[in-house]
Amino acid sequence: MATTYGIIVCDGTPCINSGARTLTSALQEQLDKHGLHDKAAIHLSGCLGMCDKGPIVVVNPGYTIYGHVTEADIPEIIEEHLVHGRPVARLAIQEDHLYNRFFRVFGDAKFFGKQMRITLRNCGIIDPENIDDYLSLRGYEALAKAVTDLTPAQVVAEVETSGLRGRGGAGFPTGLKWKFAAAQKATPKHVICNADEGDPGAFMDRSAIEGDPHTVVEGMAIGGYAVGASKGIVYIRAEYPLAIKRITKAIKDARAHGLLGDNILGSDFSFDIEIRLGAGAFVCGEETALIHSIEGARGMPRPRPPYPSVKGLFGQPTLINNVETWANIPVIILDGANWFRTVGTETSKGTKVFALAGKVVNTGLIEVPMGTTLREIVYDVGGGIPDGKKFKAVQTGGPSGGCLPEEYLDTPIDYDSLARAGSIMGSGGMIVIDEDSCMVDIAKFFLEFTQNESCGKCTPCREGTKRMLEILTRITEGKGQAGDIEKLERLGDTIRKASLCGLGQSAPNPVLSTIKNFRAEYEEHIHEKRCRARACTNLVTYQITEKCVGCGACRRVCPVGAITGAAKKPHVIDQDKCVKCGMCFNTCKFDAIVKV
Amino acid sequence: MPTPLDLIKKKRAEAVSRIIGKGYLSTKRVYVGMATCEIAAGSKDVMEVFQKAISLGLTDVYLSQKGCAGRCNLEPTVEVIESGKSPVKYGKVDKDRAMQIIERHLKNGQVIQEWVID
Amino acid sequence: MDSNKITITINDQQYKVDPGQTVMQAADKCGYRIPRLCYHPKLSIEGACRVCIVQIEGVRNYVASCAYPVADGMKIYTNTKELRRARRDIVELLLDNHPMDCHTCDRDGNCELQRLAYSMGIRQRHFEGERKHYEKDLSSTSVIRDPDKCILCGRCVRMCSEIQGVHCLTQAHRGFNTVVMPAYNLPFAESVCTACGQCINVCPTASFVEKNYTQDLFEKLNDPDLITVAQVAPSVRAAIGEGFGLPPGRNMEGQIAATLRHMGFNYVFDTQFSADLTIMEEASEFLERVQSKGPLPLITSCSSAWMKYMEQFYPDLIENISTAKSPMSMASAMIKTYFAEKIKVDPKKILSVAFMCCTAKKYEAARPELEVRGMRTTDIVITTRELVWMAKSAGIDFVNIKPEKFDEPLGLSSGAGAIFGVTGGVMEAAIRTAYELYTGETLIDIELNDIRGFKGVKEAKVMLDGQELRLAVAHGLGNAHQVLEMVRKDRSRFHFVEVMGCPGGCIGGGGQPYPLVNSIPLDEECLKLRAQALYGLDREKTIRRSHENPDVQRLYREFLGRPLSEKSHELLHTHYKAKLPRGIVSPELKIV
Repeated sequence: MATTYGIIVCDGTPCINSGARTLTSALQEQLDKHGLHDKAAIHLSGCLGMCDKGPIVVVNPGYTIYGHVTEADIPEIIEEHLVHGRPVARLAIQEDHLYNRFFRVFGDAKFFGKQMRITLRNCGIIDPENIDDYLSLRGYEALAKAVTDLTPAQVVAEVETSGLRGRGGAGFPTGLKWKFAAAQKATPKHVICNADEGDPGAFMDRSAIEGDPHTVVEGMAIGGYAVGASKGIVYIRAEYPLAIKRITKAIKDARAHGLLGDNILGSDFSFDIEIRLGAGAFVCGEETALIHSIEGARGMPRPRPPYPSVKGLFGQPTLINNVETWANIPVIILDGANWFRTVGTETSKGTKVFALAGKVVNTGLIEVPMGTTLREIVYDVGGGIPDGKKFKAVQTGGPSGGCLPEEYLDTPIDYDSLARAGSIMGSGGMIVIDEDSCMVDIAKFFLEFTQNESCGKCTPCREGTKRMLEILTRITEGKGQAGDIEKLERLGDTIRKASLCGLGQSAPNPVLSTIKNFRAEYEEHIHEKRCRARACTNLVTYQITEKCVGCGACRRVCPVGAITGAAKKPHVIDQDKCVKCGMCFNTCKFDAIVKV
Repeated sequence: MPTPLDLIKKKRAEAVSRIIGKGYLSTKRVYVGMATCEIAAGSKDVMEVFQKAISLGLTDVYLSQKGCAGRCNLEPTVEVIESGKSPVKYGKVDKDRAMQIIERHLKNGQVIQEWVID
Repeated sequence: MDSNKITITINDQQYKVDPGQTVMQAADKCGYRIPRLCYHPKLSIEGACRVCIVQIEGVRNYVASCAYPVADGMKIYTNTKELRRARRDIVELLLDNHPMDCHTCDRDGNCELQRLAYSMGIRQRHFEGERKHYEKDLSSTSVIRDPDKCILCGRCVRMCSEIQGVHCLTQAHRGFNTVVMPAYNLPFAESVCTACGQCINVCPTASFVEKNYTQDLFEKLNDPDLITVAQVAPSVRAAIGEGFGLPPGRNMEGQIAATLRHMGFNYVFDTQFSADLTIMEEASEFLERVQSKGPLPLITSCSSAWMKYMEQFYPDLIENISTAKSPMSMASAMIKTYFAEKIKVDPKKILSVAFMCCTAKKYEAARPELEVRGMRTTDIVITTRELVWMAKSAGIDFVNIKPEKFDEPLGLSSGAGAIFGVTGGVMEAAIRTAYELYTGETLIDIELNDIRGFKGVKEAKVMLDGQELRLAVAHGLGNAHQVLEMVRKDRSRFHFVEVMGCPGGCIGGGGQPYPLVNSIPLDEECLKLRAQALYGLDREKTIRRSHENPDVQRLYREFLGRPLSEKSHELLHTHYKAKLPRGIVSPELKIV
């Protein structure tokens, strides 16, 4: 059967140093010799991250990874692997299955150097609307393997062994969830994919579905097989039209190929998926609220237990996982839990996808192994802070997370370390904050979000976050009072411990973590009426310095006529009239206007 | 009786042939990022430029869309893969850059270094 | 037996308890009473107010004891320093968004939030800020909705949907802007609200109250040109004592009659009299339908909330509904015709006031279909709760007042009329009379135990001259829904169906007194005692069958002729028509 031959040579610095670049011509020579130059292509890749085994050569078909390759090995590799179809066992690196998924990420080594792609293995590589692309990359093989070689219990055991934890935020062991759902006698059971991503600035799930929808479909089908469900639902927010379009097409194509529907691939297993659209309520990412929403009720959480794996959708056992969690499943089944366990830290296995944003050079969608430090993400992947500004904090976990200052930069990314540091993993939002941002203002921003998105059911979340927001607002307006910090701490503690669902329980985190790590900024606002980042409008005055050349630009843009001055003479701002709109500041070409 | 695993392997082989049938082994493969964020940054226009060029006779090009490449601040991205050459990923591609990629890179084999993401 | 028990520790004391219950239930049995607010034993677990939080060893956050199941070895703390502070904070947060106009509030002295704040020891407020403000919804004849006083416990929402099946109320909007409202934020009067008033019963504050007509009544009682006539529903007498701190289940009819006269009423009649009249008409109607194979089952129509529910949700069953008016409307029709003629006054000078256990009767009284000769027959409807207040306001020593009798000619009643107020009572009363009218024999065993009690849907069979009659009784509109679905599927399943809109029947009506301190609204024990009061009244009477009531017989002799006569039809019967408030789709309309 015809296939493509692809050869990837790692072009990372360590591999170059150990001689990788000399391999390319040798490879080309051998291809020509065997008349394969039409069928095979040689790629140079960015660092594949296996620097200690360099030079690395990856050969397709099979994506066999050869390590410590020398020029002398090349004839054997081409002859044996490509001509006879027999990979060269003595050179092959077996334990690093993962990197074969990485083979098309190249030419972009700085950004991808520290990354590792499991969830996003096909994202940005295949045509998401072409099932052939997915199939050609061993798509649906994990599902086929599960129904051919594994019992449902073995699939559950594999997921449990893998150590995978829920990627939606809380990090509950996925295998345990599956085990509970599988153990339930009641039928029918349901499988749900939670694609109700709602953190401000987060787009991990959207990108994953848009880039590789079949992975989610395959993961859900495997889940259905494992727990004995025949129906799956993707709950996705209506604001994601492209993701909806692509997953809908993926489901349709999978059906047409007999990969969904009755008797999948001729087996006894039947499973199909339907799409439910969410109206964009943040709280519907909470699993019980999401289930209510699918049932047609108002999306409000209910107390747990009973957990959805026991009593979920329409009172039936329900296996509910987040998009990213589902996307890990085919890899775990295909490459094995033992391989998956090699990635990550003791308590957090695998990788994590983050939407890296804020004051960082390379904003983007990244996937790093658990255990990567915040510093590596901010400075190596993210390329550091732009415009020579100073790093101040990194915010993880979105509105449920916290802000970690410089001293936490060497915190390894895993569920427990982040929690210890006072933040959370969350679903994957990561915002880098520089010295121009006010931490009180940041806390206020997130609290405003949770207050607006609170479902309004439980008292602490509904009323408590409102009061916290009021206190924060008055602090940023320069009306803070002595005792306000203590009030915030007290309310935060009550809300965190007494709220009904995760939304409320985590809502005070941005405030409490900024108080913990940036207490001085709060105190400056309250006692000195000063915002060191000059971000709180009420605490800032605009002044014109001696740099002013009297061009009059500021005077012309000022909407309230607060600026006066003769032509070519320094201008002045009448502070009583100034409304602090910032127009003059943005207009001045001579940096003559400062915020004080 | 083939097992599901046999069946999926057969499906994969068929998928590969179909991809090749569409010209995957053409000398140049062009991938245009088409996730929501890329589209918002203008990748639909970029895609149209390539489609139009092909309809007007640009040959030996396998054009495909792809999902998010992760490079938010450099979107839209276009990736050009040529046999035997280091793959090239262009950032901040607009209509004009797309036309130049066609003219200079695809037709004349000249990589436009200043737009390459590295 | 004991081996099934599990061991839990509450505040360091060990207890053996049954598994499969919540922490709150277990603690209740061990002598604790964890403060609570949104919890109601008849409703689903909401877990919303967070007042009943407890600490459980090994669990990171506080848990709502109303929702959390006990487990063997569980260590529970209900009263730690941290918990007390958190609970106080939570109640304080509720107060911070509450109008705090206690002295001018309908629920002053009878407010769960007020009691809770007191027991939490809140003497200071730390977090005051913005308060929500919405317009009161005064559109309904019966129920006023005041969102400002709402603490979003969700009891009304659950009551309206889970028990009543009306689904009129829901939470809308999010966060601080969350508010309970009917669909599309329609005014109550235009919504599917049946005016049953159960939201009032379960509301812990004054977010729902009945539309109060007492000031209007006090003024009219002083109008010398008016002849003021009162009638009193059966269940009012069984419950009103609670409003004066007496235990439930005391029959206070004598005190009510005396009080109303003290307040200035010229005549005080008994709605139990017209209940007998209703039975005469309805039993006759039933027999007519059985004989002529008319539309069966016959479904009772004396509950006004139920009538609105039926018109909205089951208009396809209108032909099955008894055309007989409710006892209140029959009495009012007789007051403005028969009685007016008897005392030779212009009926327009009569003020007809009904004292009811019900808020929906305020709605019924305003129905144009019930007008007689161009007159509205019931001018004012006053609930039990309002009557309690009126008596207090008028300075009447209700508890100790010397009991008096109802006036003739509309004051004498049979035992059958009394049991109208309990679920199953109308059916029982009707069977007592129908049996005799049909067979000519007297029914000896008149207490139909199969249709007594508080089971949601009760079914029974009686033999009528060799023919088996299948009966069904439902109380609470949610249960009515169950029965009506059976009827829709198979119209021949039942011959006679009784529906009461409220749980327990009229004794659980939406206008009954607020619960005593430390008891809960619609407590089953309380309902049982109220029911016993009415069953006791029945048993005490020598006349226990409606057709034996001599005053009813006299009324037919002197005025109406016979049941279902032309005059009866004019004065005692009415008709119903489909109502389609916004959001309701008629069953005939197929949604494509």
